[in-house]
Amino acid sequence: MRGEIRDINSNKSASPPDTGLPRRLAAIVAGDIVGYSRLMQLDEEGTHARVKRIERELIEPTIKEHHGRLVKTTGDGFIAIFDSPVEAVRCGIVIQQNMVGRNTSQPRPQWIEYRIGINLGDVIIDTHDVFGDGVNIASRLEGLADPGEVYISGGIYEQIKHKIVCGYESLGDRKVKNITDPIRVYRVLPDPAAFGRTRARRQNTLVVSLSVLLLGCAGGALWYFIAQTRGNIPYQTAAVETTPALLPSVEKQAALPVTPPPPQPAPAAVPETQPAPPPPAAKPVGEPEMITLPGGAFAMGSNDDITEKPIHQVTVKRFAIGKYPVSIREWNACAAAKACAFTATGNDDAPISNVSWSDARQFAAWLAETTGKSYRLPTEAEWEYAARGGTRTKYWWGEQLQPGAAGCKNCTEVAMAELPGKVGSFKANPFGLYDMGGTVDQWVEDCWHKNYQGAPANGSAWAEDSCPSHVLRSGSWRNDARYVRPSNRDSYDTNVRYPTHGFRIALTL
Amino acid sequence: MTITRRSLLFVAMTSLPATAFAKGKPAPKDALLYFIWPHDGAVIKGAFWCRFGLRGMGVTHAGDNFQNSGHHHLLIDVNEPLNPDEPIAQDKAHLHFGAGQTEARIELPPGRHTLQLVLGDADHYPFVPPVVSKKITVRIK
Repeated sequence: MRGEIRDINSNKSASPPDTGLPRRLAAIVAGDIVGYSRLMQLDEEGTHARVKRIERELIEPTIKEHHGRLVKTTGDGFIAIFDSPVEAVRCGIVIQQNMVGRNTSQPRPQWIEYRIGINLGDVIIDTHDVFGDGVNIASRLEGLADPGEVYISGGIYEQIKHKIVCGYESLGDRKVKNITDPIRVYRVLPDPAAFGRTRARRQNTLVVSLSVLLLGCAGGALWYFIAQTRGNIPYQTAAVETTPALLPSVEKQAALPVTPPPPQPAPAAVPETQPAPPPPAAKPVGEPEMITLPGGAFAMGSNDDITEKPIHQVTVKRFAIGKYPVSIREWNACAAAKACAFTATGNDDAPISNVSWSDARQFAAWLAETTGKSYRLPTEAEWEYAARGGTRTKYWWGEQLQPGAAGCKNCTEVAMAELPGKVGSFKANPFGLYDMGGTVDQWVEDCWHKNYQGAPANGSAWAEDSCPSHVLRSGSWRNDARYVRPSNRDSYDTNVRYPTHGFRIALTL
Repeated sequence: MTITRRSLLFVAMTSLPATAFAKGKPAPKDALLYFIWPHDGAVIKGAFWCRFGLRGMGVTHAGDNFQNSGHHHLLIDVNEPLNPDEPIAQDKAHLHFGAGQTEARIELPPGRHTLQLVLGDADHYPFVPPVVSKKITVRIK
């Protein structure tokens, strides 16, 4: 690629093949793979296949999604042009963050890492190539960039600084080869808070934010995180507000690209970038009260909402599920063990809320670790099976709303201000489970899918790696009766906390 | 790109001054929240990308407490007034973009729908004064 780029550079002096070609302003993205020759030496065919696959599955579609055009690929690199600097930078960030995800499953020496440089310039665009100083500068910027990073020129920076929420670190003016004037260089930090950050921060949640759908910076935080773990481990140690005594293990885990996944029914459900399981606690913990449910088949879904279709038969295995949503007391035991991200305030018997899916997973992982049992989040199918309690009606108690049957908005005499109250304040369903509908929204293991087309029929979690949003069940005290139905489903960003979101846990038997 | 002219719509139905009770973070007076797409009155076939525009403030993740920055919420067919004392509701009519999204793929049933953007602070409360877009109407064919 370096050679190839020089080919383009050398075209600078040569006149473009067709002088009739119009000049135009474009954002030029130049990327290449770090240590390509080393990788080729290591495994020529394998590397070639992987690079081609990355180009096919990641580079090309990402450029297209951001309304750019892939001008050429050059063995280990590519050049693309964009009308919009914003789209160009987003594209660069998306590529980098996706590469982080791809690399985590590989041993370090086999990592494929791109450097990306982006410049705004007046160029001549041919069908198969692009010419001009602007291209050369983009490739020079790329040459300056560290592996996994995106460097942009001052021209790009001026265009995007108020449009993409990223941190930008000015690297000052750099003199680059064969370009007369020095070039102002900025390093893109997808997470604006990352730059110069010293305060403690829940980095773990950011880890999971890797997602194809996230625009630029949202997921880019992850990219920055992984990039940081390579060279800046102390920065990580604040991840879960760890005490100094725990630092070594956290550091170790943070430094590993792949953390050992907590026990899960479906291997696919475990994102590789999950927050590291906490170190084992010395003392035993009180386990939440669980109810064992026999396995069985049921009709999942309903025709009441487009997201609940089609109704399909699902068979779940025998499992146990929490009798109540996880309480503040239970959550705070995890927080005290420094395994959960924050200490909650409020009535000990109230359900824990304001937790993200990643927070809930951390709790389940901690509980599994400390008890040695396979605690986890329930799958979406398990949740609905449990919520229905063997019934097939709209609500578990029948077709009509019953006052006081569930803690939802306008379905109870209790004032909104006093909700959610304690767990188990309303009637138990036929399985003896409380708050399966209303009180707090409850995270389940599954990634969000907008309906059940293609859903598994075996009760397992329907999940892909690092999905941007997960499924919420139950509805909360701030939702009306429609949300209390056992078949109701909703989604929310994986790493974002919201005051009505809680969870209950399940146990594989 | 159509930029709607109104930047701040004070919640009309709150008779009490919002600032007296509101828990939200302060917003600059010149903040401008608007739809880049679709524009008011657009007729759209099928699903569409809804793009959120914001000036005078920044977009950040929910939970990140930076001054003058928040995250988007898209209100679909919501007629109730915005309650400045409560976090912006989370349900099928109130879509949250706490990961810092500035656009979303929206699928609506055929017919007329209203869309409105509301910026929420780190804790999902509306800003004071509320930073909301003009409520636009689109028709899905």
